[in-house]
Amino acid sequence: MNFKKQLKEGLLTKNPVFVQLLGMCSTLAITTSLFNGLGMGISVTIILICSNVLISALRKVIPSNVRIAAYIVIIAGFVTIVDLMLKAFLPDLSENLGVFIPLIVVNCIILGRAEAFASKNGVLASAVDGLCQGVGYTVALCIMCIIRELLGSGTFGGGILNGGEGITVIPEGYPAMMMVMPVGGFLTLGFIIAGSQWLMKRIEKKEKEASK
Amino acid sequence: MSAYLQSLLGILLSAILTENFILVKFYGICPFMGVSKKTDTALGMGMAVTFVMGIASAATWAVYTLLLVPLDLAYMQTVAFILVIAAVVQVVEMFLKKSIPSLYQALGIYLPLITTNCAVLGVALVNVQKNYDFLQSVVYGVTGGLGFTLAIVLFASIRERLEDADCPKSFEGFPLALISAGLLALAFMGFSGLHF
Amino acid sequence: MKKESVIGYVLRLALTLMIITAVVAALLAGVNAITRDRIAAIDEEKTLAAMAAVLPDAKDAEPVSFTDDSGIVSAVYASPAGYAVMVEPVGFGDTITMMVGVDKEGKVLGISVVKHGETAGLGAVAAAKTARGEAFRSQFAGMSGTLAVTKDGGQVDAISSATITSRAVTAGVNAALACVENFG
Repeated sequence: MNFKKQLKEGLLTKNPVFVQLLGMCSTLAITTSLFNGLGMGISVTIILICSNVLISALRKVIPSNVRIAAYIVIIAGFVTIVDLMLKAFLPDLSENLGVFIPLIVVNCIILGRAEAFASKNGVLASAVDGLCQGVGYTVALCIMCIIRELLGSGTFGGGILNGGEGITVIPEGYPAMMMVMPVGGFLTLGFIIAGSQWLMKRIEKKEKEASK
Repeated sequence: MSAYLQSLLGILLSAILTENFILVKFYGICPFMGVSKKTDTALGMGMAVTFVMGIASAATWAVYTLLLVPLDLAYMQTVAFILVIAAVVQVVEMFLKKSIPSLYQALGIYLPLITTNCAVLGVALVNVQKNYDFLQSVVYGVTGGLGFTLAIVLFASIRERLEDADCPKSFEGFPLALISAGLLALAFMGFSGLHF
Repeated sequence: MKKESVIGYVLRLALTLMIITAVVAALLAGVNAITRDRIAAIDEEKTLAAMAAVLPDAKDAEPVSFTDDSGIVSAVYASPAGYAVMVEPVGFGDTITMMVGVDKEGKVLGISVVKHGETAGLGAVAAAKTARGEAFRSQFAGMSGTLAVTKDGGQVDAISSATITSRAVTAGVNAALACVENFG
């Protein structure tokens, strides 16, 4: 069982956000509070697992000429289910994420995994792949959220902790509000990717030295 | 009538500047990052997106108002819209190939990428959310596309100069591009609050 | 493997896609049936809660027809104690839908935000159920006439780093006050 390897790929070496650079619209747009990040991450993970499983199960039935169309219909179906569920049971989250929930349909992570993994592998492996990639995506979003929220609004865990206000770390008036504005999204992601590239190179170097 | 005209101008202003599709709303980041290495390809992509967004706005408005709402199927909008957009892209591609081959040569390679561009689905969903009528939807679609074009062309011309920039190894390529995009977004923040 | 005819192949393509679409549509219809009432109830509850927050006798409020010059008033509810006016000014990110309570003398009873798209931690404070949000909203109570934020020489203390949102909320309150004045 290579669950461990898949998890490592999802979280680190093939992290959908920091390494594969997929699904950036939502990564940049909604990562302003931990609540949003977790909500978006979990929604995407659920959709990813479901669509991976179904597409993998149907991979021998769907003719390859129309496979993309079929995948999109399946993904759009799951996205709508999650959208309706959130509206009914977590209206606050649904309002925060707004149009970015239906936009999960065109999130390249989901179609990408369907095409690259689920269409070639078994149901169980595809489910595991969905879970690992989804967890990797969620973790990436949460890292972005924590940084942007801390620097931009001076709080931690906004929307969840301390009755929704979040724990104030930096007193009012000091946080750099531009970090929760669009600018902050681009800057944070840029620095994180630079950091992860630096880390990757170090790991590679070490592995090379170790194998010598 | 003047109030209506004002609403159209308001849509135009917000779609291009104050709520720029890429730099403020974050719709369509993937092509923004992917196809912005050269100014002329960026312009091509921008024109193709504008073209499709205009047509897709009209088509999704029609599908929503004339089909989904009367049948009480508004909850199917996401599924319906993505199919309509995929179909529009296909039709546009075939039409251009047959009738305007020169335009097809310029835009053709970008067209398949547009189906999964969130800007196109985004504009369709926002049109519904904001209750725009037919004309408003089309104006929002076209001007949103123009805003996309403006941002991607500006960004590509910055990026062309970044090629030769001397920067730390870890920042090469994507991170540097993202940070430049951030600075561009900062500039666009200056437009906020602008209105008719 | 047996080679199938072109027509058979096209039919198979169409049929597979149709079956998938039909199954997805059926599934969605099911989910929609479960969630529809709940979503409608949440919307209704929100309007009611917003009304209750700004009118002491919200239970007796009835929608009435109104005249509006600002173009941002979407509904007016009248009760013996006053009016609840639904206004939709444009904020920083998106339209802010909010309810403004106005008494018969034309004084603000209170405001309550129903829906907004403001930035979390900044403009969103205007709608937050927190001490800061409460302080921002409660200052409107008792005000009348035409209001403005302190930066523009008025009496409303803006939320720090969210002047545009504060201006939008103030504009909403002004529209509501002007609208109620038309009732005489």
